[in-house]
Amino acid sequence: MNSSFARLVLLVARRDYLRTVRRRGFIAGTLLLPAAMALMFGISAFFSTTGSQQPLGQVLVVNESPVTLTTDPTLTPHVVLVDRADADAQLVAGSARDYYLVPVSWPAAPDIRRIVAEGAGANKPLSSIEALTLEQSAQAEIELILRLSILRDAGLPDKALVQLLTPTQITSVSTTGEPVTDASVLAGFALPYIFTLIFVLSIFITSGYLLQSVTEEKENRVVEIVLSSIPALPLMAGKVLGLGVAGLTQVAIWLATALLAIPLINQQFSLDVSFSAVQMILAVVFFCLGYLGYGAIFAAVGAIAPGAREGQQYSSFFGFFAVVPLIATPVFVSDPNSLICWALAIFPLTAPAASLELLSLAQVPWMMIGISFVAQLLFVLVAVVLAGRIFRATVLLYGVRPSLGRIVAALTGRA
Amino acid sequence: MPSVTCATRAAFRYAGKVSEGATTTPVVVDGVWKRFGSTDVVADLSFDVRPGEVLGFLGPNGAGKTTTMRMILDIIRPDRGQIRVFGMPPGVQHQTRTGYLPEDRGLYRDVPALDTLAYFGALRGLSLSAARQKAKDLLVEVGLGDSLTKKAGELSRGMHQKAQLVATIINSPDLLIVDEPFQGLDPVNATMLKNLLIEQRDRGAAVVMSTHDMEDAQVLCDRILLINAGKRVLYGKVDDVRRAFSDGAVEVVGKQLPTSTDKLKAASDAVAYDSSVRYLLRDGATPQELFRELGDTDAEVERFAVEAPNLAEIFVRAVAGDDRAKAVA
Repeated sequence: MNSSFARLVLLVARRDYLRTVRRRGFIAGTLLLPAAMALMFGISAFFSTTGSQQPLGQVLVVNESPVTLTTDPTLTPHVVLVDRADADAQLVAGSARDYYLVPVSWPAAPDIRRIVAEGAGANKPLSSIEALTLEQSAQAEIELILRLSILRDAGLPDKALVQLLTPTQITSVSTTGEPVTDASVLAGFALPYIFTLIFVLSIFITSGYLLQSVTEEKENRVVEIVLSSIPALPLMAGKVLGLGVAGLTQVAIWLATALLAIPLINQQFSLDVSFSAVQMILAVVFFCLGYLGYGAIFAAVGAIAPGAREGQQYSSFFGFFAVVPLIATPVFVSDPNSLICWALAIFPLTAPAASLELLSLAQVPWMMIGISFVAQLLFVLVAVVLAGRIFRATVLLYGVRPSLGRIVAALTGRA
Repeated sequence: MPSVTCATRAAFRYAGKVSEGATTTPVVVDGVWKRFGSTDVVADLSFDVRPGEVLGFLGPNGAGKTTTMRMILDIIRPDRGQIRVFGMPPGVQHQTRTGYLPEDRGLYRDVPALDTLAYFGALRGLSLSAARQKAKDLLVEVGLGDSLTKKAGELSRGMHQKAQLVATIINSPDLLIVDEPFQGLDPVNATMLKNLLIEQRDRGAAVVMSTHDMEDAQVLCDRILLINAGKRVLYGKVDDVRRAFSDGAVEVVGKQLPTSTDKLKAASDAVAYDSSVRYLLRDGATPQELFRELGDTDAEVERFAVEAPNLAEIFVRAVAGDDRAKAVA
């Protein structure tokens, strides 16, 4: 028999890890991100493949109006003017699905009819998304031919007509002349936000498991039996370790998903997003520091709280601090050296989210990240010691909340 | 101020001499104080627990019993005084040799009882596989063989109680501390668990049993320790304590028993009943003196019993401040 500190820590860690990763909630939560990614790419791929499979064919137009319609090879390349009998014959023969009828009343009454073949219609069947896409493209050309014909009827020269009706291309550039696209805005703002959000979420989920584990043992009246077998410090250390590894398992799966998804995102949205190995490693380091800091707080909260519900309520107070850097994402993106960013990067409760946000910026402010790292490390050391004292002094108080005096006495080592 | 009694000093000497061996006094508590807020929950408490005995730890609610047990197990620390467990300060080094059944106890509700007991056994120093096997054997022994894979939430209260006691003895502890072990059990299960506890004592384990059931204490305990408001009120062998609280009366069953006290210097009064006589002892006289004097008469003594109140009566009197408690405090 042996009962060394390390053995006890590993025993508790093993139990809490296995118990957590086998929970349905953990499995569902861990697989949610990969599933969401897969769904996103699935939908995206579906749209892109349907668009390329069925190019826009001829757009049949029957003109019964007093205005002469004329086509333009550039603006309306698919429009073909036919008489009504021919259009109906094509519908019956199945060589066309529909045609557009410009009635006698047009342009006095701006109503155009789309005559659709009965039944399955021509060619192979289309999905509703394909049909909708083709219809929108066809109607865009119809709009153009009608405007073109009215303006031509009014005597405007063809050159002016084409210039007027050709869609304008707007290109965004930075002050240095470099192109700025919607995609780079996405990379510069949305990705740091999403990256930080995922890690902060993971820190809170994992710390939440720790809170749950402590309150559960307290509510089930197991904690005193456990504490008679293992001192408070290795018990807390084992819980922090086991649940931290469970959190890292979740993060590892999410990071692997992200690494797989980034090339696809780049391809899909024409981006050039990448995370270096150093950034990834540091992200994991900051996850660990954030988890240890919040985990220590949540372990103490779990020991103080009379029950699970109160534990959740107390811990939600700390969630506010983690959200502040996320709210300040625009400031991080636009002015990472501002006083606000420095404050958020150093204040222990906002530092984990702030440093993760800084890591994902295009120009990483390494000095600020280094100082934030030191601040978080010091906080973790102090938090773990103080949380251990509170845990030991209050975890055996069943159904009652310890007085402030008792908590202070525990913090100062007098309880 | 804490004081060290002769008994505890002797115990410390004993503990010191054989601290490396298995026969070291399992528990020595010496002048221990513990204060919560402005209340001394335990005040100058001293006692010891010996191998192969059941020490009944008695006292009204809030007397400081749980706090004392937690201090022995190093769950909390005393403010003053000294506690020795197997000759050393309480700590993780003893946790493989101790078993604890707290009053507020439970099991992980959504985990099979067997898994929980294996975990507790592993925390007590067994390997996981050995703990699992031991838990299985003990659960079968207490009649829970059909419930090995049942989650604790699916067990009845009695089953819970049995499983918890199994958790306490899974590592064959040398020191067993149990708080109200038979509370809420039916007589059949209570007897089964009492036998389990006696088995532990008989194999040499020291057992500290806190209980409010004085009948259990009288039957199971070799010695008792009664505390009130954190202070020791009674401490000693059950028979000695009962004798100290007797009213000085002796009930004798037999033939030709003298009904006058003329020839009996040890008795001040004699009252005859159908087949017995109740003698009231004079101040300073002992039952042994009376027994000898009866031997000098024609009496044929069939049964000679010192009348003594039961532990429940003693408990009430001692807590109320009966002076006779001082003789066995």
